Amino acid sequence: MEFKLEAHRIVSISLGKIYNSRVQRGGIKLHKNLLVSLVLRSARQVYLSDPCPGLYLAGPAGTPAPPPQQPGEPAAGPPAGWGEPPPPAARAAWPEPERPAVPDAPWVGGAEPTATVTGAADAPQGRAADAAEAAWGRVEGPREAAARGAGSPAGGSDAFPEAPQAARRPCACPSGGEDRRGAAAASPGADRRCAPPPSADESPAPPAVCPRKRGAAGVGGGPAGCPAPGSTPLKKPRRNLEEQPGREEDDGAEEMETGNVANLISIFGSSFSGLLRKSSGGGREEEEGEESGPEAAEPGQICCDKPVLRDMNPWSTAIVAF
Amino acid sequence: MWCFSQVKGAVDDDVAEADIISTVEFNHSGELLATGDKGGRVVIFQQEQENKIQSHSRGEYNVYSTFQSHEPEFDYLKSLEIEEKINKIRWLPQKNAAQFLLSTNDKTIKLWKISERDKRPEGYNLKEEDGRYRDPTTVTTLRVPVFRPMDLMVEASPRRIFANAHTYHINSISINSDYETYLSADDLRINLWHLEITDRSFNIVDIKPANMEELTEVITAAEFHPNSCNTFVYSSSKGTIRLCDMRASALCDRHSKLFEEPEDPSNRSFFSEIISSISDVKFSHSGRYMMTRDYLSVKIWDLNMENRPVETYQVHEYLRSKLCSLYENDCIFDKFECCWNGSDSVVMTGSYNNFFRMFDRNTKRDITLEASRENNKPRTVLKPRKVCASGKRKKDEISVDSLDFNKKILHTAWHPKENIIAVATTNNLYIFQDKVN
Repeated sequence: MEFKLEAHRIVSISLGKIYNSRVQRGGIKLHKNLLVSLVLRSARQVYLSDPCPGLYLAGPAGTPAPPPQQPGEPAAGPPAGWGEPPPPAARAAWPEPERPAVPDAPWVGGAEPTATVTGAADAPQGRAADAAEAAWGRVEGPREAAARGAGSPAGGSDAFPEAPQAARRPCACPSGGEDRRGAAAASPGADRRCAPPPSADESPAPPAVCPRKRGAAGVGGGPAGCPAPGSTPLKKPRRNLEEQPGREEDDGAEEMETGNVANLISIFGSSFSGLLRKSSGGGREEEEGEESGPEAAEPGQICCDKPVLRDMNPWSTAIVAF
Repeated sequence: MWCFSQVKGAVDDDVAEADIISTVEFNHSGELLATGDKGGRVVIFQQEQENKIQSHSRGEYNVYSTFQSHEPEFDYLKSLEIEEKINKIRWLPQKNAAQFLLSTNDKTIKLWKISERDKRPEGYNLKEEDGRYRDPTTVTTLRVPVFRPMDLMVEASPRRIFANAHTYHINSISINSDYETYLSADDLRINLWHLEITDRSFNIVDIKPANMEELTEVITAAEFHPNSCNTFVYSSSKGTIRLCDMRASALCDRHSKLFEEPEDPSNRSFFSEIISSISDVKFSHSGRYMMTRDYLSVKIWDLNMENRPVETYQVHEYLRSKLCSLYENDCIFDKFECCWNGSDSVVMTGSYNNFFRMFDRNTKRDITLEASRENNKPRTVLKPRKVCASGKRKKDEISVDSLDFNKKILHTAWHPKENIIAVATTNNLYIFQDKVN
């Protein structure tokens, strides 16, 4: 349990670092971002291998399956074998073919997505209900629209691939101008990736996801139950980033889940490539994200167990998604 | 017995970012000491000729030349600012009266010529001393201009500019033992240059994957072998070192030797990968060994043995339990350098709280010293420091939690022939000498 929180905290910190790296002088440092993405991958693995998939569903009071005893600081001493592929039952999973459906999401001009990054990072603050909901709402907007057009919910595994595409819908796809140049230089496939958003009926996401969200977010079933969209408090998440350390309560964690899910989905899609490629201040050179590298390297660990997946909370599936 | 000798740089605690020292390097004779800073400047210190009377200490280092090596640039195509920070300085061996060094920032390497002028011609017929032209009709006699002494002037001029060869950030330059070529390494590629030719370079290592999303490691440092002009090594963020032989093929993507130590599974953590990333690699002067620095340790490798280092020295093992905090405050990404003494018997590297460490390979003894203005009386012997890892702190020990992680010593250099060391704190350069008795 504590281990999972630690992993989550590390993920938040890492996201903040990647975000900050975009505005650093001298451009994005490939080495540092690679290391941060490796830490993210490790934290994700730990998070997934933690054998208490129903943790957040059960509520703060009880943990159905406490994780193995952690010595001292979790970061220092994970249980032996935590780096190994997690047991299938505990694995949130993507079927392999789904992953290409979640292509890199080129950034929509820097400001908004980065704000949601910080939103994600600081959501664990616990005061995140508003911030999370608002941030969620911002991303949710197009997704909800897509969801409403959707048919009945399919398996949970279909949920997330839609989100980034839906979120991308309002974006100015790099079909021209400097974005194209940067993206093209970075990867020939960049243009391909910014495909027109998929038809809305593919998206069962919100219906599948929303019912799983925690009560604190005030979510019932169905897309309408998702946290009400609101204006994104761009300033608010940024202020909260500093409060981040030490606010790891269960309640906060629960609330954070829901907000962060959408944030992460919209931000990462399935990789960092868009993140690094399209930073506003710089980084348009070939220093693309490497997060997908680890993804690509571990196909064996991604296996889909649909019933398990449906049972897993949105947070876990979001982690898996990236 | 190490004694304080000098400290260079501003005294005030408010450090201007441009003054942060980013590299320190002695030249081949040790007479010159160059520093580069974040503001793109190079400052060269020269050792005084030894005063035979004061034989108890070697000459002091005084400022010899200061020049702006690199300026901030902007890459308009990529909307990218290029920092002027000097990443590395490497001296060329001296061939004539002038000195030459290579300095590099993230993208451009420059060859600088530093020359002295202590005479100037005087007594021109057509020019006044101040340079104004004389009216030719007033010239009634002729004289031969002669050289007269003048105040020493040290001039630095850029002789070659090696640009546009690196897409990623340059982290290393290394001059070949043939003294004609040198290599420059960035995160993914290593290029071979000829010192005379600036418009092209050969790419000799390229680890960029076809799909950048598959990237798993980057090049962190590279160096030519001190004696074999065909051999060089490069280290990676995964903790491996590859030795390459340029005779084997034009593109040295396939290594001749791979040096890697298996990871200790009991030490596995979220940050294992970060702390195994090698921040510096240096050959011994003999060429038989090489030293690598990762976040917590220094390792000495025998070039003939690839599967593990022959010696490992823990620099600040007490930080292993603090890795999470060090990750949060970015200290875990600090790139410490390391250096050999002239005889390859002692190695030195920096740590936090302005501490630096020396490891004697023969006696297996190590010492921790501090670069601090408190000890700044000349010939004050430095007192060994000790960090207390666990609860009970003895007198004079420092507890881990009271270490100042903003005071880090990343760059150190050892005189090639004598026991004189240069240690760079954030914006000061300390020079220490071994007591000569």
